Amino acid sequence: MAELVGAFAASHGPLMARNWEGVGPQRLASVTRTFGELGRRFAECRPDVLIVVSPDHWVNFFIDNLPSVCIGVGEAHEGSPEPWLKVPFDNAIAGHPAFALHLAESALQRDFEPSLSHHLKLDHGFLIPLWKMGVAKLPPIVPIIVNIIEPPLPSFKRCYAWGQLIRQAIESYPENLRVAILATGGLSHSIGEPDMGRLDEEYDQQCFEQFKSGDIPALMSFLERRTEAAGNGAAEVRNWVVAHGTAHAHGFELLGYHPYQEWYIGCGFASWNLRA
Amino acid sequence: MRDYWLSKLFFDMQTPANAAEYAADRETVLRRYPIKPEVLKSLQEDDVAALAPKVNPYLLRFYFFATGKSEAWFLEHIRALAGNKESANG
Repeated sequence: MAELVGAFAASHGPLMARNWEGVGPQRLASVTRTFGELGRRFAECRPDVLIVVSPDHWVNFFIDNLPSVCIGVGEAHEGSPEPWLKVPFDNAIAGHPAFALHLAESALQRDFEPSLSHHLKLDHGFLIPLWKMGVAKLPPIVPIIVNIIEPPLPSFKRCYAWGQLIRQAIESYPENLRVAILATGGLSHSIGEPDMGRLDEEYDQQCFEQFKSGDIPALMSFLERRTEAAGNGAAEVRNWVVAHGTAHAHGFELLGYHPYQEWYIGCGFASWNLRA
Repeated sequence: MRDYWLSKLFFDMQTPANAAEYAADRETVLRRYPIKPEVLKSLQEDDVAALAPKVNPYLLRFYFFATGKSEAWFLEHIRALAGNKESANG
């Protein structure tokens, strides 16, 4: 039987690749330490399969066909087509079709209707955190794309339910498999909008407190009330909510918070202590 | 409300070959997209205020990046819309 062995969250952003050193040596050292700790914990949990929940930044989908949730069920995924992103991973990234299809079937049995893709491209949202965490060899990846880019977006409540569903799917998978989940994106930031570059540190800090509390109604209420005003990129906190649901809302631990305006992002990094 | 063909143009610009062709011969590329005349005018004038409500903000930013506008130029123009955020969100 499969088991959940790790749950993590990390921000991403193109400027982490294009302007990595632009935050200055001290702050760069600080965020590097945080990525290192995340990478250490990730390595420690030794996953056989990694579920990565991330947005699609107009790489796979367009407004002619825009799924709310898409599971990558292919044998392999393609590395980022973004020409500015050079990551130390092969361009063909292994998937885990057996587990991915089990997840899809589990979803359909419980009245969720995800879109499926047998060939996804994994953009910077998927790959920058894994690169910066120092993951030398990627485990097979099951990507889950949540639409956080073009409204209407899935509700926070639904994202939490997706997380719970993922946990059920892991625990009902018949083979021994160590499964981890990584949510990427968030927290406050604004891209291509009049407040581009603005961070909302108060929102970010309150988010962390809400995740720590384990109080789901309070978290949902806070996110519904405050997220839109924290910038369009803050919508990516939905991915954290998925991971929170997978972790049964227990054991959230903030590993680092780096509100770096040079990267336009209130960067947050977390892991869930699954034994809590 | 999104403008489909304007959005499609911006989306297609993510392919470097398309962006290069657009840079070399904008008129020829634009003839492939049935973009409304008033939208075309906004495009030709790099009118961020007029274009913003019609496309996704990520694509908007990308288009100006791909057409060689500096980040400072884009920030200046998009931030000028502050106070009118609803229009930028469509």
